Amino acid sequence: MTYRLTLRRPPPLRLDMRALQPARAAALTAAELGRLELPSGCGTLALAEVFDIAPAGTEALVVEGDLERLDFLGAGMEEGTLELHGTVGDALGLGLRGGAIRLDGSARDLAGCAMSGGAIEVSGDVRDLAASALPGDLDGMRGGRFVIHGDAGARLGDRMRRGTLVVHGDVGEFAASRLVAGTVALGGRCGAHLGYGMRRGTIVFGGAAPEPGPTFVPLDSDIGVFWQLLARELEGLGGAFAGLARRRVERLAGDLSVRGRGELLVPK
Amino acid sequence: MRLNGVAIDETFAEAFPMKGTRIVITAHRPAWAMHAAVAATGFATSVIACGAEAGIERVLAPEETPDGRPGVAVLLFSMSTKELGKQLERRVGQCVMTCPTTAVFAGLPASAGEALPLGRNLRFFGDGWQISKVIGGARYWRVPVMDGEFVAQESTAMVKGVGGGNLLLLADDTDAALAGAEAAVEAMRRVPGVIMPFPGGVVRSGSKVGSKYAALPASTNDAFCPALAPLAAKTELDAGTRCVMEIVIDGLAEADVAAAMRAGIAAIVGRGADAGVRRLSAGNYGGKLGPFHFHLRKLAPEGSEA
Repeated sequence: MTYRLTLRRPPPLRLDMRALQPARAAALTAAELGRLELPSGCGTLALAEVFDIAPAGTEALVVEGDLERLDFLGAGMEEGTLELHGTVGDALGLGLRGGAIRLDGSARDLAGCAMSGGAIEVSGDVRDLAASALPGDLDGMRGGRFVIHGDAGARLGDRMRRGTLVVHGDVGEFAASRLVAGTVALGGRCGAHLGYGMRRGTIVFGGAAPEPGPTFVPLDSDIGVFWQLLARELEGLGGAFAGLARRRVERLAGDLSVRGRGELLVPK
Repeated sequence: MRLNGVAIDETFAEAFPMKGTRIVITAHRPAWAMHAAVAATGFATSVIACGAEAGIERVLAPEETPDGRPGVAVLLFSMSTKELGKQLERRVGQCVMTCPTTAVFAGLPASAGEALPLGRNLRFFGDGWQISKVIGGARYWRVPVMDGEFVAQESTAMVKGVGGGNLLLLADDTDAALAGAEAAVEAMRRVPGVIMPFPGGVVRSGSKVGSKYAALPASTNDAFCPALAPLAAKTELDAGTRCVMEIVIDGLAEADVAAAMRAGIAAIVGRGADAGVRRLSAGNYGGKLGPFHFHLRKLAPEGSEA
């Protein structure tokens, strides 16, 4: 069965939530789930010490309360659905492999970092390094679908390699820096140094067109077929992407400083 | 059994399992999609020597294609997975990629069967400039070419199809046989999931298995040759039958082939025996070789017995 976990009060120290996995939790009794040990500071806390556990009538494992000190929510998840209400800490859905995370609220740094599958949807904002790589890793996000309805901080999708990353709001500086491949769709404004060092991959703009740097060059060959395939898929996102397939598109190639073969797609 | 004067033999068409797939070819204008489809399905009448049996299933309106351009649905069949893969790659590479403005997509959902490479190997024509893109769970390859880029879906699904469904039209003369065959093929082309791979959908050199010459796997169907009616050891023809035409049907499923045969029989019966096609028969090998048996009388239209 699925549970609804309500945080009684913010824990005194940051809480590592990696152990809480929807599929595993569903197989436990409420008492067993309450004994789940969560690292915090130098020690651990039993889940029941900080959460009220109640059955949930939904498919999803629900976590709610003031979640700002909770890190690694849904990290490494492979299946199931995690539904979060409130602003959460760092590394939401870190290394996600499958299943779905829905966050009604905002997240701090490293959301969706190194994810390789599954889906994350955030109704609010995320901070820096969302969908990026872990320190030392060659690739950032490498699969799945990550949709942010609010704004994103700096270094969004750094070293991203595969998958679809969508931000309906504004993004900070160095968005899609060192992009290896994949699709990044941006609905709002961009900070400086967009696509810095991008090698391949596609950045699509639903809203305001950015001022591309000097290492991006316009191309005017016909990409009608590919544009229809992509635009029709992105139209389903709504917002700035609604009606995308009916708009003409301008294409820029770059980043030429790294012999980049990526592209910026700017609908007119 | 006689319907509207047309005799329907108590026999069945014997068909075989084949590996098949559907691809969708689109282009800037309908004519160019058709040029590509015609070329890609050329020299694909019989697996006896062509390697594949292929044909145009139907023309697609812009709203039916993945990229919103006019298109053509093509079916391709072969006896083995390996041969089908080879034929598909060659035909798409030489006849679709080369044709101005075309793009090629899978015509069956990925869940329908094993994946067969479509753009997976053709991408290397891009010499390193090719771009891969995953959109909505499917991978596409974009290969830069002189008119822009050639977009090909990575793979198409392969299904177990049915090949060799057939209908024999026994007629008074050439005019009657051609007119009947044309009408039957027209009716059968409206059935989804099937192709009639021979020229115009019709074959005049129907074959039997084997030959007196050891090197030949198939030879003329002497039992249905008017010239041999008084000579051959066994003939299926009545006096007055001067011309026989065969329509061969390949389909993605047994039910599709049956539907096409039903449409063809109905078309001939609808025209009546006075139009010159007086008898319908079918080719089989005694029922021991092919697992699919299409009994003509079970497929005949009901209520018109006379």
